[in-house]
Amino acid sequence: MSVLDTIRKYREAGYYKEFDYHWGMTVDLDRCTGCEACVVACQAENNLPIVGESSFAQRREIKWMRIERYWEGEYPNAKLNFIPMFCQQCDEAPCETACPVFATYHNQDGLNTQIYNRCIGTRTCAVYCPYEVRYFNWFTYTWDEPLERQLNPDVSVREKGVMEKCTFCIQRIRQAKDLAKDDDRRKVRDGEVTPACAQSCPTEALVFGDLNDPESRVSKMANDPRGYQVLEEQNTSPSVVYLQKVHGDEEAI
Amino acid sequence: MTSINRRDFFKFVGAGGAGAGAGYLYAELVKRPQELLVPQVVPPEDYSPGLATWYNTVCNQCSGGCGISVRIREGEAKKIEGNPVHPVNQGRLCALGQSGLNALYNPDRLKTPLRNNNEGRFQGIEWEEAIDELAQKLNESRARRQSDRVQLLTGNIRGHVNGLIGHFMEWVGVASHMQYDFTRPANLYEANQLTFGQSMLPYYDIRNTHYLLSFGADYLGTWLSPVHNSLGYGHLRQGQTEKRGTCIQVEPRMSLSGANADEWLPAVPGSEGSLALGIANVIANGHYTGADQAEWANALTTYTPSNIARLTGISEVDIERIAEEFFTNASLAIAGGAATAGTEGVATHIAVNALNYLAGNIGQKGGVIFNSDPGFAQTSTFEHANYQQMITLAEKMKNNEVDILILHDTNPIFSMPSSSNFQEAMENVPLVVALSGFMDETTAMADLILPTDNYLESWGDDVPEPAVGFSVASISQPVVSRLYDTRSLGDILIDTARMMGTEVSWDSTEAYIQDVWSRIYAQQGGDPSGFDNFWRSALEAGVWGQETASTNQGSTVKPFPVNQLSDVSNKLEGDESEYPFVLHPYLTLTFLDGRGANLPWQQELPDPLTSVVYNSWVELNPGTAVELGVKEGDVLEVTSPSGTIRAPAFIYEAIRPDVVAMPIGQGHEQYGRYAEQRGVNPIDLVVPNFDQRSGALAWAGTRVKILKTGERVLLIKTDGITRTLGRQILGPSEAEHG
Repeated sequence: MSVLDTIRKYREAGYYKEFDYHWGMTVDLDRCTGCEACVVACQAENNLPIVGESSFAQRREIKWMRIERYWEGEYPNAKLNFIPMFCQQCDEAPCETACPVFATYHNQDGLNTQIYNRCIGTRTCAVYCPYEVRYFNWFTYTWDEPLERQLNPDVSVREKGVMEKCTFCIQRIRQAKDLAKDDDRRKVRDGEVTPACAQSCPTEALVFGDLNDPESRVSKMANDPRGYQVLEEQNTSPSVVYLQKVHGDEEAI
Repeated sequence: MTSINRRDFFKFVGAGGAGAGAGYLYAELVKRPQELLVPQVVPPEDYSPGLATWYNTVCNQCSGGCGISVRIREGEAKKIEGNPVHPVNQGRLCALGQSGLNALYNPDRLKTPLRNNNEGRFQGIEWEEAIDELAQKLNESRARRQSDRVQLLTGNIRGHVNGLIGHFMEWVGVASHMQYDFTRPANLYEANQLTFGQSMLPYYDIRNTHYLLSFGADYLGTWLSPVHNSLGYGHLRQGQTEKRGTCIQVEPRMSLSGANADEWLPAVPGSEGSLALGIANVIANGHYTGADQAEWANALTTYTPSNIARLTGISEVDIERIAEEFFTNASLAIAGGAATAGTEGVATHIAVNALNYLAGNIGQKGGVIFNSDPGFAQTSTFEHANYQQMITLAEKMKNNEVDILILHDTNPIFSMPSSSNFQEAMENVPLVVALSGFMDETTAMADLILPTDNYLESWGDDVPEPAVGFSVASISQPVVSRLYDTRSLGDILIDTARMMGTEVSWDSTEAYIQDVWSRIYAQQGGDPSGFDNFWRSALEAGVWGQETASTNQGSTVKPFPVNQLSDVSNKLEGDESEYPFVLHPYLTLTFLDGRGANLPWQQELPDPLTSVVYNSWVELNPGTAVELGVKEGDVLEVTSPSGTIRAPAFIYEAIRPDVVAMPIGQGHEQYGRYAEQRGVNPIDLVVPNFDQRSGALAWAGTRVKILKTGERVLLIKTDGITRTLGRQILGPSEAEHG
């Protein structure tokens, strides 16, 4: 059984199949080097604020995409593993059940979305999220002039009291759908949408696409025998499939 | 006071009740000017509102030479991505490259020419006045025929802007143009000159190698062309059909490349070259069958595995195994970073070149491939200044032998050890003119500051080095109009020359670059009437390439000059009993040599290995930390024979117990609000020795001692617990796998 089947566990009875897309991503940990190009790409694309040193000191950073580090062993056999962590767009998202005002919900593309102007800032969703990928605006952050001229006009700037997180660059998905419509196509072709992180990745570790389409690159990657989901035991059914790192002492797969 | 015009007045009256009206009036008064709301009856010519356009140009954040595409909306740059058709980065881009927008829209950019009023304060002046002052001084110098007393010192500049600089030097009488870049691998150039007869960077084919052996080269973070290397690495791991490539990293402190390697070998710092020769010894005596085998065996007799194991701390078994694997696989050896920044950096590179030669990697796919001539007449009116030449320049300045120093985008005061006294020497120069985008430490010493364009606002071209195996040239073009009253380097030179009465046939850098390209186009046999089309399509693509005949020199590998092999034990400065630790300064991918420290995105980017933000730190082995009773955040005093600095401790899992590591990049006294008064600069600890053969600074050859100050600070980082503690984060465990 491939990982994709576990994702679909909750999607039987034609629930999502009716819809055109199920956006998903694969992260090949054997390619990922932890260089953090994706982190800056996300910051630039999604108008993430520059929060300042004191906010970092209080662990109030806002980085929709981050690289986590996990050490194994001790010197001289210490090994370091990197893993990019961002919203897993879970099918069974714990955050969605938590929100008292339904500011976070699941859309028909399989995305876990956040409605900023509905959010009242209870921060419950961040507590429920096992991946800790939801970020709260403790202040209305400002940009030192003229840094604000860089802001992406396709993405709203959030204010104090609002929760935010990775959207799979929904503005890019929207644009691709519009372009497909202009082109008289009902569906976006594979490869027409790439979120900022995957676009920048220097090792091509991130692959994005439609998991409903068995021929898409992401579906093929997700079927790799190395595929797994982070914290699978939580039954969150993420739309992100990680491909396990191959260790040097194992036979290459 | 804001006046209410007639229309606003009617709105006010129309709003009804007094309370609502007052509220509306207040809103009207505090509102920004309404100009943005005026519909664009006459739309601006250079953009359509709401529509993004992408312009291609060249990244200037490091010397990798990646092509970039900049997304422009309403005349403003919104995002930088890799240029998908550029062969160096193929659409990809690193963190530093993407943060280029922070440089363009940096609030601390220099916006107008400034003159130092000799009381340590700068006053804004007009361009005419500034250029006139420079022109006058150059005229005086020219009248005295003292061109050797004018020094041009720039950062790394590639492409034909150098040609323009060459013309300028001729026009106005400047004898010397030096380029100083701390990150330039001077030892590698010198070693390649000595062993291969080519003072250029070959193409290291990481993409196709099966066995990558790196001696200190952080190829994924900072070495040569990190994005291109990373593309290769991804392919090496998962793209090769025959097998998954193996990576071995030799370095005393685990770098980003070390963390991704299959095997990390913490050899004694400074002994990396010896390890290479030890491996070469095993290959020469057991595997290599070339005609010069006896010569090799003879030259390497003392480098037996047992000797080398004692010297490097790497076991004999490992040395022999790596030698065998290196010889039998399609392999590649590279060197860089601290491993080649000692007193024997060139010798270390030669030893690594020898490994590539013995394993037959020269000119092979997955090995070291020499590039063909780029087909571009490269100008050679400048020289790359190594550390030794910079010291000579400092001496000259100190002895009042320099009248005018013209600086551009280089910061030697920050990236040279303070004991080199470059700053004091600069004080003796009667006129220091800085052509600079930011007020950095060196610019702050200037008498006259001419603010330059950001690289996203200026013209130029570039031939990437290391190249990609065929001729490639890229064009830099402005992607946004100038934000401030700045000019590009080339334009300032043209303006100055004209002010001095020189006839200059080009009106701008743009005209010059276009002229040069039209001549290249003609040389290549292009039809002159087609140049406009060619130029337009080259600008659109941002890159121009030409597949040339095979550059593979595999069949004509020249015999290796075995006599170039020499002692590779780097000398460490400082007495071991007094200074028990070896200082390992390293370049970070966030700031490189400090140039990225003024970019807020880079300051907020967690260091890839420690996750620290906004600061400097001292890395210690956990065992050493226990021995010294040091915990994370304890402020340590690090002392070398050259100086003392203080920084908080960070306990790093993968560093030798006898080494302390510090990142380069922070510790700016000047450089804008994001960089200033933040952390420390470990280069200040370096005892200024240099490699005798290349003259490059031996920045990794200093011993230090550590003293706990008793002070504690919160070391700001984003990581929490960095062990998985049995959680399924990195994948199912082996047992579950089976």
